[in-house]
Amino acid sequence: MPFPVDKRVCSSWAKDLPRGGDTIIYTSCMYQIEPSVGTFLKLLPSISSLKGLMPLARVVKPSKTQLERAYRILNNIVIALKKSGINTGYLYEDEPYSGAILLEMGFLDEFGEYARKVVKLFKEKGVKRIITVDPHTHNALTRYKEFVNHDIDVVNYLELVNYTKEVKGEFTIHDSCLYSRFLGLREKYRELLRKSGIKLIEDEKITGKDTSSCCGGPLGPVDLKVSEKIAENRAKDLEKLNKKLLVVCPICYVTLLPHFSGEIKDISEVIF
Amino acid sequence: MLSWDIAVSRAINNAVPRVYKVLNEHPYIPELAKRLRGAKLEVLNNLEKYVEETIQSVKNNGGNAYYVHDAKEAQEIVGKIVGKEKIVVMGKSMVAYELGIRKYLESLENEVWETDLGEFLIQQANEPPSHIIAPAIHMTKERVGKLLKEKIGGVDENSKVEDMVAVVRKFLREKFIKADVGITGANAIAADTGSILLVENEGNIRFTTVSPPIHIAIAGVEKILPTLADAMIEPLVQSAYAGLYPPTYVNLTSGPSSTADIEHNRVRPAHGPREFHLILVDNGRVKANKDEVLREALLCIRCGRCHFHCPVYRAIGNVWGDPPYSGPMGAMWSYVVDGDSKPAMYCVHSGNCKEVCPMQINIPRVLEYIKNKGIHNDSGGFNA
Repeated sequence: MPFPVDKRVCSSWAKDLPRGGDTIIYTSCMYQIEPSVGTFLKLLPSISSLKGLMPLARVVKPSKTQLERAYRILNNIVIALKKSGINTGYLYEDEPYSGAILLEMGFLDEFGEYARKVVKLFKEKGVKRIITVDPHTHNALTRYKEFVNHDIDVVNYLELVNYTKEVKGEFTIHDSCLYSRFLGLREKYRELLRKSGIKLIEDEKITGKDTSSCCGGPLGPVDLKVSEKIAENRAKDLEKLNKKLLVVCPICYVTLLPHFSGEIKDISEVIF
Repeated sequence: MLSWDIAVSRAINNAVPRVYKVLNEHPYIPELAKRLRGAKLEVLNNLEKYVEETIQSVKNNGGNAYYVHDAKEAQEIVGKIVGKEKIVVMGKSMVAYELGIRKYLESLENEVWETDLGEFLIQQANEPPSHIIAPAIHMTKERVGKLLKEKIGGVDENSKVEDMVAVVRKFLREKFIKADVGITGANAIAADTGSILLVENEGNIRFTTVSPPIHIAIAGVEKILPTLADAMIEPLVQSAYAGLYPPTYVNLTSGPSSTADIEHNRVRPAHGPREFHLILVDNGRVKANKDEVLREALLCIRCGRCHFHCPVYRAIGNVWGDPPYSGPMGAMWSYVVDGDSKPAMYCVHSGNCKEVCPMQINIPRVLEYIKNKGIHNDSGGFNA
């Protein structure tokens, strides 16, 4: 993980999933730890004064409410997969981090080295198919092949799920940059939202493929102020469309939350 | 709301819908852009050959052509051509800015005037440009009015934009007429004919290239295209993706002015400049071209569209990148010419820039590559 985390924080959401197996759901602990990243970034300047990084695992910990929300989202995804006829295992505390932050900060050499280790671990566990649940992890895993040969199938839950419950209401949507412009999944979640009955309020200048701006989150480790300025701009634009906002990424959720005056939900909280 | 937020929001709201409208109304433009990318890649794959061909073609037209490695060499050549205590008018050239040409000529006691309105404002304010085709984009019209009031008078912060344009027009007319040398960039250069293409709307470039007795064009080697037919495409594509289509003017210059009106014998000069000089610039480009990933940066046609779709530029634009190279393309170019990887670190990989780039440059991937190079202290610029 990008910072020390108590492994139980990552794995406690799953109770009944088989341990390991050919097909696994892979969280990379993103939904679970993302609510703490803001605290971590604020602590960054004083990290050098800590004796080792382990004390951070205690300091940087999501609240009970944040964790319950993250666990609910992950369980909803598992339910949606099951209702779509897909059963998965889970690696629990053996689940590694994807290395996404290395890739996104430009540590390509290190990311390649890390990817080789993670692939080796997946191989040792007999994993043949990985189901990712967030854009950053999915992006990182789909790029492993640039650095290491492997035959593990990487697929996102949005590509597999064909179930939604019926939902009424109007929302606007903030796209994940990675899903929308790099990974070809923009229409997948729109299809699911249409299927659920949700009416999306869109505007080509704000939610179009070329125009929908980043939340700013991935810039946090480089420059927190600029990251927050981007989030503020984005939230301001989205508020013009609707006060109820859907997101598909845990980073977008935590980054936009302090700046958006309405309600923000992950789609997995709403349609499954 | 900060001045930058106001100015950039206005510019985005004006520019972005206009580009979509242009592309919708002229569906042949993306096809031209595709052809342009192919033609530019042909040159980059055989750069040395095309540089030689261009130099020979310019000489065949009675012009002078030079190849320079860095800013110092460029300054020396321009300094020799211009001399001292002259009046110089300049058409906006990012490469001239990159090479410090204006400041250098001023140090030789020349009177140098930027003639593009945006660049003129930048010069008057003594600030770096903040956008590749709209260098004064960070100034609101109120600020422009205030600046012009201080520098040349005739308007103030409450004046209409039309009146601000009019006072600069009046001020610069005298400079154009008295100028000894005109300096421009080049949007495209045809290797087979030695012609340069310049696209503009104001009419200042026409004045700069024709009124003074000497015309100097300064351009990066990446501006070379194999043929004049290829080069003619560039101004159309550039202006369309800048949302300024059709361009008001496209200027083609092939050597000093000429006439064939007596016995159809082509002689030079005629009414326009008696001297034409083309300075082809390396300054990091040749090294970048040898790198498969960085080569993509050299395909940029400087339309500035990526700026308006980039969340980072919108948030901090005018301080992002090494002047004159700002925005996503600027983060690439800061590394190519200055070996500076810091601007690339600010790429948030939103991917908007790659979606809208007419040259289909995957800018986030180039910047990711530069980040890695910067982290591992592998500087890329010629000067680094």
